Order: sequence, then C-alpha cells, then structure tokens
Amino acid sequence: MTALSVSLGRRTLARPGLLFGAGFLLLLTLLALAAPWLAPHDPNEQDLLNVLLPPLWATGGSLDYPLGTDALGQCVLSRLLYGARVVVIIMAIAPLGAALIGCLLALLGGYFGGWLDWLVERFVDLWLSFPAVLLALILMVALSPGVQNVILAIVFVDWARFCRVLRAEVLLLRRRSYVAASRIGGAGALGIIWRDILPGLLPTLIVLMAMEFSIAVVAESVLSFAGMSAAPQVPTWGGMIADGMGSLYSSPYPLLLPVFCMILTVLAATFLGQGLREAVDVRLLERAGAA
Amino acid sequence: MSATVQPLAIASGALIRAASLSWLALRQALWRIPMLLVITLVTFLILRGVPIDPVNMLMPPNASAQEIAELSHQLGLDRPVLVQYLMWLRGALSGDFGISIQTGQPVLPMVLQALPMTLQILFFGLLSGLAMGLGSGMLAFRARGSVLEPAIMSINGVMMAIPDYLWAIALIVTLGVGLQWLPFIGPIDPGLQVPNITGFLLLDCLLQGDLVAFGSALAHLFLPSLTLGLCIATPIARVLHSSLIEVYQEDYLQAARLRGLDENTLLVRHALRNAALPTISLIGVQASVVIGGTLLIETIFGLPGIGALMIRALGSFDLQTIQLLALTYAITVQLVNMLSDFTLRTLNPRLRIAP
Amino acid sequence: MNLSSLAFSPVAEQFLAEPEWLLEADGLSVVGGPAEAPSAVLSDLSFRLAAGRTLGLVGESGAGKSMIGRVLARQLPAGFRVGGGQLRFAGEDLLSLPAERHRQSLGSRIAFIPQEPMGALNPVLTIGRQLIEHLQRLGTPAAACRERAIELLEQVCLPRPATLLGHYPFELSGGMCQRVMIAMAFAGRPQLVVSDEATTALDVSSQAHIVRLLRELQEQYATAVLFVTHDMGLATHACDDVLVLYAGQIMESGPAKSLFRRTLHPYTRALREAIPALEGPLLPLRALAGQMPGVESFAQIKGCRFAGRCEQATQVCHDGVAPLESVGPQHQVRCWNLAAASERQAQPEATAHEPGRAMSAQQSLVAKGLSKTWPGRRQGFRRAPGVAALKPLDLSIAPGEFIGIVGESGSGKSTLARLIMGLERQSTGVISLNGEMLGDSRDDWTRRIASIQMIFQDATAALNPRWRIGRLLTQSMLSQPRLHSERQARAAELAADVGLAASTLKRYPSQLSGGQRQRVNIGRSLCDTPQILVADEIVSGLDVSVQAQVMNLLLELRRQHKISLLLISHDLGVVRYLCSRVLVLHQGELVEQGETERVLAHPQHPYTRALIAAVPSLDPDAQWPPAAFPQMDVTP
Repeated sequence: MTALSVSLGRRTLARPGLLFGAGFLLLLTLLALAAPWLAPHDPNEQDLLNVLLPPLWATGGSLDYPLGTDALGQCVLSRLLYGARVVVIIMAIAPLGAALIGCLLALLGGYFGGWLDWLVERFVDLWLSFPAVLLALILMVALSPGVQNVILAIVFVDWARFCRVLRAEVLLLRRRSYVAASRIGGAGALGIIWRDILPGLLPTLIVLMAMEFSIAVVAESVLSFAGMSAAPQVPTWGGMIADGMGSLYSSPYPLLLPVFCMILTVLAATFLGQGLREAVDVRLLERAGAA
Repeated sequence: MSATVQPLAIASGALIRAASLSWLALRQALWRIPMLLVITLVTFLILRGVPIDPVNMLMPPNASAQEIAELSHQLGLDRPVLVQYLMWLRGALSGDFGISIQTGQPVLPMVLQALPMTLQILFFGLLSGLAMGLGSGMLAFRARGSVLEPAIMSINGVMMAIPDYLWAIALIVTLGVGLQWLPFIGPIDPGLQVPNITGFLLLDCLLQGDLVAFGSALAHLFLPSLTLGLCIATPIARVLHSSLIEVYQEDYLQAARLRGLDENTLLVRHALRNAALPTISLIGVQASVVIGGTLLIETIFGLPGIGALMIRALGSFDLQTIQLLALTYAITVQLVNMLSDFTLRTLNPRLRIAP
Repeated sequence: MNLSSLAFSPVAEQFLAEPEWLLEADGLSVVGGPAEAPSAVLSDLSFRLAAGRTLGLVGESGAGKSMIGRVLARQLPAGFRVGGGQLRFAGEDLLSLPAERHRQSLGSRIAFIPQEPMGALNPVLTIGRQLIEHLQRLGTPAAACRERAIELLEQVCLPRPATLLGHYPFELSGGMCQRVMIAMAFAGRPQLVVSDEATTALDVSSQAHIVRLLRELQEQYATAVLFVTHDMGLATHACDDVLVLYAGQIMESGPAKSLFRRTLHPYTRALREAIPALEGPLLPLRALAGQMPGVESFAQIKGCRFAGRCEQATQVCHDGVAPLESVGPQHQVRCWNLAAASERQAQPEATAHEPGRAMSAQQSLVAKGLSKTWPGRRQGFRRAPGVAALKPLDLSIAPGEFIGIVGESGSGKSTLARLIMGLERQSTGVISLNGEMLGDSRDDWTRRIASIQMIFQDATAALNPRWRIGRLLTQSMLSQPRLHSERQARAAELAADVGLAASTLKRYPSQLSGGQRQRVNIGRSLCDTPQILVADEIVSGLDVSVQAQVMNLLLELRRQHKISLLLISHDLGVVRYLCSRVLVLHQGELVEQGETERVLAHPQHPYTRALIAAVPSLDPDAQWPPAAFPQMDVTP
C-alpha cells in the first residue's frame, strides 16, 4: 500500500483545488480550536445598546466588534468562531461513523450474499427513498438538541449512501478472478476481505468520505437553520443565518457573513472531495497498477 | 451463449414483451407499498422517542392523574408500541390520521390543503431544472475541446456544492432585496383574493379569469422554483455531459459515424437517447433529495406548503401531523421514482425484459 | 481484369492513373508521439487493390494493421496523424478530400464491418430502425425502405427477416449481429469494404459462415475488400493477396496462396510455425522468443523492427531497413538475409511431437455424473425451470495426462472447469481425488486446493493489480505459516520455472506484457506443486507467437513435474498440440470423446465435424470453407 500512498501524495500536490480545500479546512480547524483566545467577546454576550452594528470596513463599524453585531447585539465574529467548532467536530466525526457502518454492512451484504444481502439492500433502498433532511429533522425532534445527537442523526441518515456504493463495489470485486485465485490459494473469507476486497475498496471509500465532509456540513447547517441542532446556547452558522433572515432589511451583514463562511467551507470540502476523487480515480489506479 | 433466439420467441416476441412489461410495472408498483409501510413504522418508532408526553400537551395543565390515565388509555398509549402502530394504521386505512395538537383539527384536510402548493413548486422546479440542466450539459458537450467546456463544468461544480437553502437566500438577497425584481414572501400579493377551487393557486387564478392574480402568483413562484431548479440542474448537467462523452466512445457510435451519418444525426438519434438513461435514473435517485429541498425553500419563501407545515409541526411536537407528512413525502418520492422508472423502461428495451 | 492486384515493381508506377486500381497506397505512413520525435506506427506502406479482390492485412496485435482502416475512416486515435505518402481511392486523393465529401462516401462507397458486432449496433434502437436509417441516408425512398431492409436481411441468410426488424440487438447472437452489420455494409453496394477482425469475436462456426457470406457478396457486387486479421490460416483462404505487417512495416507480401506455400521472411515463417496444425504430422512448434516492440520504442529502432527477435539477424539488420525485394510473381520480401532464409526453408526439422499422454494407469481425479443446473428465475411464487449449464458427464484424469475440453461459448466448458476446481457446487455427481471422495468439509477443500489448481482465463483480471509479482507467485503461501525468506526463495524458483526474469518479481502486473502475465498466472498455480491444473482458455487472448511459448512451457512443466492438465479451449489446434484426449461439449452435453488424433481424423458427431470444418486449414490448396457446411449459428 505504500506505493498507493506515495503516489497519492504526489498527485495531491499537483491539484490546486485539492490544496485549497485541504488548506482551508485545516485553517478552519485551527481557528475553531483557538476560538476562546481569538474571540473578542463571549459569543452569547448581548450588548443591546449596540445591535446590528455593521462590520469594521463599513461606515459606522467599530473596532470593538470587528464583524459587527446581530439583532441581539451579539458579536458576529465571536459567534462565527464558536460556530466553526460545531462545523469542525461534525466534519471530523460524522463521516467516520457513516463510513464505518456503511462499510461494515456493505461487506457483510456484498461478500456473504444471501438473505443478509437482501435485507441490507432493502434497508438501503428504504433509507434513500426518504428525504434525508426530513429523516434527520424527525430524528432530532426525538433526540434532544446537542452536537452529539446531530452527529448521531447524520450517521443514522448517511450510512446508506456509503453502503449503496460500497456494496456495488464489493460485488464487483468479489467476482474478479483474482478473488477466486485467492480462494484456491487457500485464503479464508477474512483473508480475502482484508487482502483483496478492502484494498480495492479503499479509493472509493476515501472519495466517499471526502464527499461526506461537505454533506455533513450542509446537513448540520440545515438542522441548525431549522433550529434543531446544537443546544440553544451554542452558536451555529445555520442558526446565525436563520436569525439573520429576520433582520435582513435592517442590516444584511449578520446574514451574509455566516452565509459567506458556509459557502466557503462547503466549497472547500467539495474541492477536497473532487480533488481526492480525481487523485484516487479507481480506473487510473487499475491502469497504472498502483504504480 | 452461442444463443440462438428461439423461433417461438421471435413469433410471439411482441406479445410476450407487452405482457412482461405490464407485469413488471405492476410488480414494481406493488413493491412500493410495503416500503411505504416500513417508512411509516420507522417514523412511528422514532417519534415514540420524543421527550415530550403527547397526553400532557392535549390536556389542560390542571388535569388530574386519572383524567390523564383515561386519555392515555383512550389513545392507546398504554399499549405496546407495535399495537399502537397497528391502531394508527387501522385509522389511516379508514382515512383517520388523528388530530393535530396545534389546531385541534383533523390532520388529513390540513395536509391536503397544503399539498398543492408544494406540488406546484416541485413541478416548476423540475421543469426549470431539467431545462437548465439539459441545456448546460449539452452546451458543455458541444463545446468540447474549447475553453468553454471546462469553464461550464467548473462553474457547474461550484454551483453543485451550494446547498438549496443558501441558493434561496442568495436569490432573495440579490434578485429580491437588492434589485427588487421579484417578490419573495408569500404565495401571492397580500391584497389579492383568490377563491380556493382546485387548491392549485395558479389553476384557480385561471379558472377565475383573474390574470393579475395569476401574474402575481407566477411571480411569487418564480424564485422558489428557480432555487429548486438550480439544485436539480447542476447534477443533471454533470451526468449528461459525462454520459455523452462516454456514449461517444461506444462502438455503435463509431459504427454509425462510419456509415456516414452527420454529427447532428449522431447526437440526436444515437447519442442522446443512450446518454439520457443515466440522466433519468439520476432524477429518480435524486427525487428524495429534491423533495426534501422543498422543505426549507417553502419555509424561507413563506409559502404555505407541506414543508412549512412540517417545520411548524416539528417545532411544536405535533406528532400526528409529522407522521402523516412523512407518509406524504414518502409517497411523493415513490411517485417521482415510478415516473423515472417508467421513462427508463420506455427508453431502454433491455429493461422491458424481466430482470 | 488484372490477374494480380499487387505490383510493387517500379515498372508498375506508370499505371498509377489506371482506373482499375480501386485503392492505392503509396509510401503511406502514420506517425504518433511528439512532433520533434515522431515514431511511425505504419511506415512506408504501399499496396494496390483492384475491384472484386480481397487484400489481407495480417499481423499480431500492435502490428499496425488496423491503422489503414482508420486512415480510410479518418478516425486515427488521438495523437496519431498521417505522416506522409498517398492514398488514392477510385482515382481521388482520399487524404485531401474535403471533410463533407469524405463523410458522404462513408457507408455508400466505403463500408466498414466492425470487430464487435454486438457493440456496433445501438442497444436502444431496433434492428429495423437502424437498417432503415442507413437506407434512407443512402437515398432509398421512405416507402421502399422496409421492403429493402427485409431483402437485405434475407440476403445475409437471416431467418424471418420481417420479425427480426422489430428486435433489439441484445436479443440476437453475435453471429446474427454480424450478419446485420454485413447487410448494412453491402446495402449501398460500396466499392470497398473494410473488415477489421470481423470474425474474431465470434464462435468458430460463425466465422466460416461470415467469411463465406463476405466472399459471396463480394463476388456479386465486385466489391474490393480490405481484410484485417491476425489469423494466418484465415487469411490464406479469405484473401487473394496478403500483406504481412510487423511493428508497422511490411515484412512480406504477395498472392495469399503462393505466399503461404513458400514463406520467405523469418517472421512470416516463425508465425506459420507457431500455429498448431489440425492435420498432417504433429511437429513441435517453434516459438518465437520475446515480443513485438511497443510503439514507444519504434523511434529508437534504426534497422529492421524484427531484428530483435530474428534468429538470423546480423549487424546489417540492426543498421538499416531492408528494401522490399521481389522474389517471385508479385511476391516481395523485406529482409537482408534472404539467401540464408531460403536455405533454412529447404531443411525443415522433423522431430515428431508427442502431446500429453497419461504417465500411469492410475487415475488421480475421477468425476462421475457431474452436472450443473442454474436455478430458474423466480416468477411470482413459482420458479421457472432451471437452466442446465452442464448435463451429467463422467471424466477421469491420470497423472501427466493432458485432456482437452472443446466447445463454443455457452457449451458449459467453463462451468466444468469451475466445478472441478470447486469454485462452483455441482448439482449432481461426485468427484474423487486420489481415490477419496471430495466433500464440502474444510479438510476436503484444503486437500482439493493442494492437488488441483486453476489457471484463469484472463491473466490481467486474475492478478491483483496492487500486488507485486513476487507476492502473487507465492500467494497460496500467505495463508500458511511460512517464513518470508522461504516465500522469496519459492518466488525466485517459480519465476525461473515459468521463464520470467528475476527482475520481474519486484514489478506490478500492469508493467508486464500479456505473455509475461500469463506466465505469472501459470507460475502461481504451480506454487504448491499441484497434481492437476485446470486451465480455462489460457492461450486464446495471446498472439500466436506468445501462444506457442506458453504451450511449450506447459509441456515442459509436464516433463518436470508430471502434472496433468484439463485444458478448456475453443481452439482445436491448441488442443491437438497439447492433449492426448479430447472431450467435445455442445450446449452442456458431452457429444464426443476419445483420443485427440482419432476424434480429429474421424469425428462421429455432426457437431464435432462442424467444429473441425470451421477451422481454416493451413494448407493453402485446401478448399475452405468447405462447400457443404452445416449452418449452426442461426436457427432456421
């Protein structure tokens, strides 16, 4: 696998989109980690004398609130920084969980087949035929608000996407004659999964994970936009956008700034995903023999 | 197989094909019913986890413990969950979906009243999405080799990344608030009155012969439909573009070109139909995403569809409404899926043979 | 009518404008690669083709034989272009024809028959729509199209043409699809038809019919045919004249029959000697060492491109390209050492060759009543009756015995291989190995894979692309408690056994050539020194010269290890060369078995007779396809 990782590294560097995506997300993580030191105010501190202040560069902006304040006089910069923490946590954990469950079920169903496969496939069908947003929202109503529940909801909704793609891939790999060759070479089911199937699955898995970054971020923002994400005292970008809609006519900044952050993050995650997809293109790998 | 086609099959091929086609369609339609049932069951089970006791919300705050127990019994809430589900199902089959705790009214008429608005958005969204997606996908393909192709496809890639509700906000901020070209709150200008005949606002305006109201309703529908359309168009453009490229590498296209067909005939008669197959199955796959998109779009644009209803119901733990709306969404997705399956079968003869 | 269509002597130059030459190439070259260092995939090609004649372009994969068709179609692959020379079609310069005029002539004056008929028909349109579309483009009035389409399908001997019009390509067999393609090609009565490996993807019995059909239509319309093929035997009978290409250069050319009666160029001869014959004395095949240089290395070769593999190569061969020299009527050869070449021609080696006979009276593997039925499709609550892939048959293999299983696609021969190996479970029957029954238990599986190993059909697909050759060769030791050093030692041993250089052990499969990959595939199956090898079409995808290498390797392994071989093949020549006994399968049923020589000389079953008759004879004077030949690929 070293050949794969080395060439992956080399191809990663050759892609500006991928570099931008990875770089931005790294920066975001650092900002989120340093939020308590960087934020000029407590994110929930309300300054009712200074509501809807414009940011620094607009007329009437003040150094005290570099990005202005919202309708409740809360510091937009501080809220954005703290909101980034939620984004980063979700992005770090939710794809991992969804990948783990999806991959496990895909291997069980795809490799062993039979009624298990039938069941897995039916569940995936079911999950994908129901609007994901809706399922997550209903789940959030049942669970109480909180970041860990948001992660749970995203994993609960998105495992099916992983499972569908990976299962198809497992079915394809299982029929390869090199798997039959391993079988008559005396390898057991676990050996084949570990040595033949999983390495073959890896490129797809990486791509799916990378795509799930942006999907998870969007899902969280939708939930918080609908007011059903983290606990009310935790600032989230989606919540800020929803609040900003209310004061749109008086001042667009509390709306536009989180929208801008959101779009940048989603784009970065998407670039990362697309870049990785091209970098680990399965067909390219096959042709180059992982060289 | 050195496979020879059976003489019998050749003779009665058409007949068998027609029969197997309708049997297949029927079987696939029937298969959707248990799926819907399982969806309602899953929703039901999830909603049992709601941390709020529905009985408490129905009763006045000063109700006695006995009264609460009586109502619980009456609603069947003291029975096992599965029995409760079966009770709900029995009611549902006779058209009784329970009572909304927000309004105290039966849920079904409420949902039926809101549904046309959502269907209107969905219809225009799909229409505009298809038009924009097919248009830009074809444009990018026809421009292959020039700088236009990568330009269109990268812009498309960026646009695809942006989630639907951000599109809604972006359109409101630019076209609505900024340029003030289009209205963006509510289904129609506040001053106008249109009687409810079919429930479909646009249709009602026309039936009344009220062109001013029709124009206003159409204008109000423009931004929501455009939002939804943009979310549909981007993946369509991408898939159409890449499947056109793939189809152009197929042997049959090469063979047709070697028969001297000109490029336009190749594209229209040989390539498009084959390239349409993955595009249409994409619409089927994306149906749930698209329909989920109406949820926030309705809320943001203040349209009284089932999405707005759902968000309200979720906020106030209106379980019966949530349950019925979940079923409604599931049915809508299945309908769109059936439509795309039907189109696929019409276009692809291979699918007409039983799988 | 000119008796010969080929003339390269300078004297013929003055006839350039003669209209009887339908297609003339003069010094045509196709180059690829960067502009500053182009390499010619086709260099200095000259030929002439008259109406009603067939010119064969013969060569192994990579010889550049398909490039001429692509030049005609103006469909050169990306990065390639015509580097020089002329190509005249019916007196017009085809290379400078305006694009629109050129397109107009495609399909109407120049028609193409593709290699993969199934893929060449649009899968979502009916046969009728595609035929009629073509007829309309040719200017047939709309009202007459259907009539004409039916007429065309009748002409290519397709049954029930009227109903066939309503069918989709995937409902037809490959042979039937190819007939449709031929019907389309001849619909406009073209002057030239280019057939690019038109029979390669088809079963042997279809091949004979397609060739005969092509011949008949050609005679009827006086069409000239450019017949591209890798099969020398086929070219002998299907063509009037032949060009033998190697790495983009013409090596030998001339009238097909006389050229194959007296092959002069070392390459042509090697090619001929590498083809296992179906009749006559069984001679050892002389395998050509090495492989054809790739396009990327053409630029570095100054001299004869074959010199690297030629036994007679001298310094002069490496220094410059020999001219094409006339050696007989229209017979030309490009070789510096013609004298030496003719000398060798005079004294053919004649040591008899012995196929793999049983080395012991004991049977190592006995299968009784073996069959496989696939469960039918579920239809509601019922199940359709199952499909019998293999009807019950008995089989036994003795040590050192090579047994051939012959049949066309769908005959159940691959199923039999998978049943013996245990990759599929038999529906009925028992298999015993060395006298003990093979059951489903884990122990039996261990015993089975220790004694029986399989060589897979497609070496590329059978080798995990992410593993190095060394690891692949000793794959079966991965699940055994073996030391790393032990594995390395065994890998080196195996590599030597199958004739791979030690340096390949560190490489990935994609870095090897097809022949080398097949060697790895074989070497891997030998790792635990099995008694029996099951080989599924292992030489069918290889070039003739490489095929001979692999076959000789198998015989060598038999001498060393006394292994037995169960060879699944559709190629009777290969089976005759390797196997002492043969089983003929037809639609899942064993129709004939016995000593290979006896079965081939005196076939009893009509299907066996048809199979044998379908193989083009290597004897240029034999009549092929035979006059009376049962039509097996199309149900009447």
